[in-house]
Amino acid sequence: MTNRKNEINDLIARRADALLRARDGLRPEGDWNPRPVEAEGGCGVTGFACTIPVGGRHIYEPSRQMRNRGNGKGGGIAACGLVPEDMGVSAKVLEDDYILQVALLDASARGEIEKAFIEPFFNIDGGGMVPTVDDYRDVPLLETRPPDVARYFVRVKPDVLDRFAGEKGLALLQRRDIEDEFVFQNSIGLNRAYYASLGEKRAFVLSHARNLLITKIVGYAEAAVQYYRMADMRAHVWIAHQRYPTKGRVWHPGGAHPFIGMNEALVHNGDFANYHSVCEYLAQRNLFPQFLTDTEVSVLLFDLLNRTYKYPIEYVIEAIAPTTELDFDRLPADKREIYRQIQIAHAHASPDGPWFFIIARTLTESNAFQLLGITDTAMLRPQVFALQEGEVSIGLICSEKQAIDATLASLSSEDARFTPLADQYWNARGGSHSDGGAFLLTVSPRNGNCGGYDLLVTDKFGKRVSTPSGQVHCRLDAAPAQQGNADDDAVIGHGIESNNPEAIFLHLRQNAAAMDYDRLRNFSRRLAEQCKLKSPQVGIEALTLAMDRRYATGEKKRTSVLVILRQALEDIFAAQSLFGVPAQTSYRRITWDARGLLRGPEGQEMTLLIDARGFQPEGPDCDARLAVQAWHLGWRHIVHYNTRGTRFQAAGFGPATDGLRVDCYDNPGDYLASGIDGLEARVHGNAQDQLCQIAKRGKVVIYGDVGQTFLYGAKGGEFFIFGNAAGRPMINAVGKPRVIINGTALDFLAESFMAGDPHRGGGFAILNGLTVDAQGRMIPLDLPYPGSNLLSLASGGAIFVRDPRKTLVRQQLNGGAFRRMSDADWKLILPYLKENEQLFGIEIERDLLTVNGERRHFREVYRKVAPVERGEAEAETDDAGE
Amino acid sequence: MNAVKQSESGQPGQPAASMAGGIEHARVSREVKPALPRFRNEIGKYRIHRSSDCVNCGRCAEICPRGVHTRPGSYRLLMRPLDYRCIGTDCAKTDHYCVKACPKGALSISLNRTFETLGDYRWTPDLLISNWIMAETGEAPGPHLESEVGASGGGFDRLRLRFPETIPSDLRREDISTSLLLNRRDDSRPKLAIDVPWYGGGMSFGSTNINMLLGKARAAKAWNTFSCTGEGGYPDRFIPYADHMITQVATGLFGVREETIQRAPIVEFKYAQGAKPGLGGHLLGDKNTPAVAAMREAVVGTSLFSPFPFHSVYSVEDHKKHLDWIAHVNPRALLSAKVSTPADVDMVAVGIYYAGGHIVHMDGSYGGTGAAPNVAKKNIAMPIEYAINRVHKFLVDEGIREKVTLMASGGVRNPYDAAKAIALGADGVVIGTAELVSAGCNRCGNCESGRGCARGIATTDPELLKMVDVEWCTQRLINMHHAWREILIGLLHRLGLDSVAALRGRTDLLTHLDYEDA
Repeated sequence: MTNRKNEINDLIARRADALLRARDGLRPEGDWNPRPVEAEGGCGVTGFACTIPVGGRHIYEPSRQMRNRGNGKGGGIAACGLVPEDMGVSAKVLEDDYILQVALLDASARGEIEKAFIEPFFNIDGGGMVPTVDDYRDVPLLETRPPDVARYFVRVKPDVLDRFAGEKGLALLQRRDIEDEFVFQNSIGLNRAYYASLGEKRAFVLSHARNLLITKIVGYAEAAVQYYRMADMRAHVWIAHQRYPTKGRVWHPGGAHPFIGMNEALVHNGDFANYHSVCEYLAQRNLFPQFLTDTEVSVLLFDLLNRTYKYPIEYVIEAIAPTTELDFDRLPADKREIYRQIQIAHAHASPDGPWFFIIARTLTESNAFQLLGITDTAMLRPQVFALQEGEVSIGLICSEKQAIDATLASLSSEDARFTPLADQYWNARGGSHSDGGAFLLTVSPRNGNCGGYDLLVTDKFGKRVSTPSGQVHCRLDAAPAQQGNADDDAVIGHGIESNNPEAIFLHLRQNAAAMDYDRLRNFSRRLAEQCKLKSPQVGIEALTLAMDRRYATGEKKRTSVLVILRQALEDIFAAQSLFGVPAQTSYRRITWDARGLLRGPEGQEMTLLIDARGFQPEGPDCDARLAVQAWHLGWRHIVHYNTRGTRFQAAGFGPATDGLRVDCYDNPGDYLASGIDGLEARVHGNAQDQLCQIAKRGKVVIYGDVGQTFLYGAKGGEFFIFGNAAGRPMINAVGKPRVIINGTALDFLAESFMAGDPHRGGGFAILNGLTVDAQGRMIPLDLPYPGSNLLSLASGGAIFVRDPRKTLVRQQLNGGAFRRMSDADWKLILPYLKENEQLFGIEIERDLLTVNGERRHFREVYRKVAPVERGEAEAETDDAGE
Repeated sequence: MNAVKQSESGQPGQPAASMAGGIEHARVSREVKPALPRFRNEIGKYRIHRSSDCVNCGRCAEICPRGVHTRPGSYRLLMRPLDYRCIGTDCAKTDHYCVKACPKGALSISLNRTFETLGDYRWTPDLLISNWIMAETGEAPGPHLESEVGASGGGFDRLRLRFPETIPSDLRREDISTSLLLNRRDDSRPKLAIDVPWYGGGMSFGSTNINMLLGKARAAKAWNTFSCTGEGGYPDRFIPYADHMITQVATGLFGVREETIQRAPIVEFKYAQGAKPGLGGHLLGDKNTPAVAAMREAVVGTSLFSPFPFHSVYSVEDHKKHLDWIAHVNPRALLSAKVSTPADVDMVAVGIYYAGGHIVHMDGSYGGTGAAPNVAKKNIAMPIEYAINRVHKFLVDEGIREKVTLMASGGVRNPYDAAKAIALGADGVVIGTAELVSAGCNRCGNCESGRGCARGIATTDPELLKMVDVEWCTQRLINMHHAWREILIGLLHRLGLDSVAALRGRTDLLTHLDYEDA
């Protein structure tokens, strides 16, 4: 057995060695200077993998949504898992051939390239010039004519391959691996001749993968879809990238993402601090970047680990994003041993700094397609994953949640098997022992070769992510059967009469599991119809409660329930009058077209509804700005809805905004409620990044998760989060912010917290470490706090963690100590837990103090972490011991 | 008693009583008035010895035009010589050389040994004392001091302006403009302009004496330019000068609130300091007094860290979002981003412009007080004179040079440095240490030690705070601004330029001593 193992290891090593040697000729002549010529920082990245092939138009919408993450100087698209008919080739050709796509910056180079780099080596099975629109100026925002693209479906001629294998000493490789390497090296040669070595660049290889192609342009990514007529071209996996380069007046599409490895395309958001070091590492292995961006280097690294060293994907990810600190210690012993070796071998090539990769690739051997998202160990770039499972399934990875919803909205408008919301959204925890900071979304042919595909989502360790089984989505394209339900009608009628939205919600919650979709749809529709002109407030509040709270939904997916409730809410909103016509209710609605009519509230008018469609995500024309004007005109309740990533909502109102309430539905964007000083904001769903920075006073309620750097530099206020916070919540906060996070946080919770003594008006956080199960019940997470750093370097404040199983250990504290939970502590946090109960229905007795069915004392359930006093030598421990 | 009255007595070392009842008038005149040193024995380049042979005849007091020898009113005896005003043996060529004039031969002049111990290669004793004289008198220092360059052997110290042999005869000094436009974008935000091509850099309430900071603010108002809050919050006492205060948003976000953002005509994002790029900020516990802690809403006595970088900004698109945020909160503010000078500072500058910034503020490595570690000051970041020209040319090539204001800081010690920086391609400069020196800083470099500064400048200690008087400090800075502007106009006149704007990017008017022969 051991012998056999050694033999295999030896073969793998010899093959890798042969490949590295085969690339001897790739070293460029003369001085080789690995300095990036183009700088870029962030970008917008998005991608999805779907069990059915869908048109490029659906990557258009999320790209457009994230336009403000690029500057129009570079964008690109990759499509993987294509459809033979769309490509004009047979299924076999699509499966077997390489799709060589060459961008012709100089159209006259085509003939030369074909003579020098294609015809002598390849059998051409199809292709031609990629069709484009006639005049690039017809494509909005496209300022430069994109390159013509020549496409060739090719296989290497057998005699050429034989010669190549002989010359390069690759005979011990499998034939397909040799062919891959030929294609790879041929592209490097082509790029060198027509791109890298020239002052004036003439042509370069966009992609050469199997069943995967890339286009890129100088412009916004979505323009590539339009210009190259890919709106109807279908694929299982799509990725897009909005680029934000800052150097040079002349940009080349060559520098745009995605970059091609062998059978994978990679887009990247971030930049490395160790570009030079990674380049040196690659150079020692005869790999040299030609486009001089860190993205190209990343894909070269991935390809090296994957194709040359043949690492399993888990080890590839470990080499790129190593597991460190406490997370490393928490790995099983056998994994630690392997990971240590990987880190020793590859640590100096692991990208250092903020980065997030999305990779689309063809798994040629299994004929599957895969989308991968890998985040850096410090989680410095925004990232959201999402999953929808049903008749068709789709997994998505994006910089912003709103782009995920934009994709799903686009898909569901065309195909009712899609639902406009995902069933599940989550963040990866970079370099962690829990999910490894990476997720793999694999679309593979269903067993039995019936033509169908399955989607499997797993983390780095192969642990599956899935949605509750036994639930189905609602087909919203078919109208519900018109059936009355006397009970429902009576509750609605009575609720409206008695002005009691709570009663309507309670009825719905009680019956939600038993209701079928038709009854739910009728219920919601009827509720909207009956109250929209009479008492919209009752309907809005009842529906909002029903969307905000968790309860069992039986065989219905919560996602579909939300969509149905949201539609009813939309009906009520849409029935409210615009300015300029007589109002029937206390609501006024304003839209982009009618924004000029804004005036202060008159008569019974109380609430301003801002339909965010058409507004810009930031700047003078964004709805957040309109809200500030409305406040100055006297409005005290403002509702934003249909938002698609509007930034700065509930911000900019200035000091002393007591009495103002801002409600945000759908997809409010970054920086929400930053700097608030008195107002109350509610987010009905998930929120994005950088919420509540420098918040001073007021109240914020989030009925979902929040993103990165929540409450950075905050001074005060009260904050209630139903779900999780991502990385670095409360960092550098001072003063007296008081926060409840009912889920968990990824890492660095309350780093450099300076919020004084909680018992003398200072700040604190309560971390409950709960999640929701399929029945809508609150259940504890495995670890209430998985991060390696809790309250690090803090000088004030405290964290109260619900940790009845004493999972927190001292290694997670850096400058903090466990303290005995005193009666005074409990008295301090109790009012917040009560408010939390009120807001989210998380009951103190049932959900917090009951552990494994037993009611416990608060001291057995909560643990307190506080900063070590100055001069205090040894960190004290609570009575839990360690 | 105010500073004006005090000056009549002509005696330093008697700080004017603090303004009675805290009258911090928002109205400040830019008129030059003498502002005497705070300490009795101000350090000068020379020492005068008056021996016991003196008969108090008063001859020396009669002839000395510099006020070294004085005998006020009805005094019988002469005052102790104010030798810091003495211009030294150069005086021998004149008819008012006291040593020669003394009938008893009781006077002698020597070099002051203390003088030699002052400062460092960059801020030489000559430069320190030149600054003190400008701050006291509002006039250029005499020729006995090397007031133009230091002794660092590089940077501005090796650059010289090249003056043409003839200048246009119709160019009058009074027609030369030193105004600087800060908003060059075509947007709806105010077209702010300042009267001198420099403004005061950020110093936090926490690092620096509030009286010093108020003096900065008041002088900025007098000269229609700016001072900056630094990252320690915005004390209410700044509010009367709000039109001349930049609110800084730095990585710790200490004391930053919507209110203070909305109050400011300019909001500055401090990404890094040239003296310590990549190191963030650090206020040691001893300086975190109850007042400082209250302003920052932190815990008294603990060290306060400003992280590096902004936790919400890890890329240029995050940076744009960050600027958009402030633009949203204050729709009238100009946006400035202060960055250090890494190798790719040119790309950073372009990034600032595309993100909506009005001012690109590059902070080079020569600046910084005692709070920045030497290893950082001396080894990180590109020298500012390289960075300025590199960024200037890059912005020109990009076609956006006329859309953005480029400010340089980090080691701008005097108007000559300012002129050189502008000739290299900056629109203006930001000053910091020069302001502190005006208030008597002698560059001992112990800003962060214990209770802070021995001269009461970089301190928050309640007792040391009293060492600096607001009005006195204001006047010192007003005088300094005046002297700088006069010198700058003199330079522009000799260069034959009618405005400081015309000097920008004129590297042809510069020479570098290392390459003169080449």
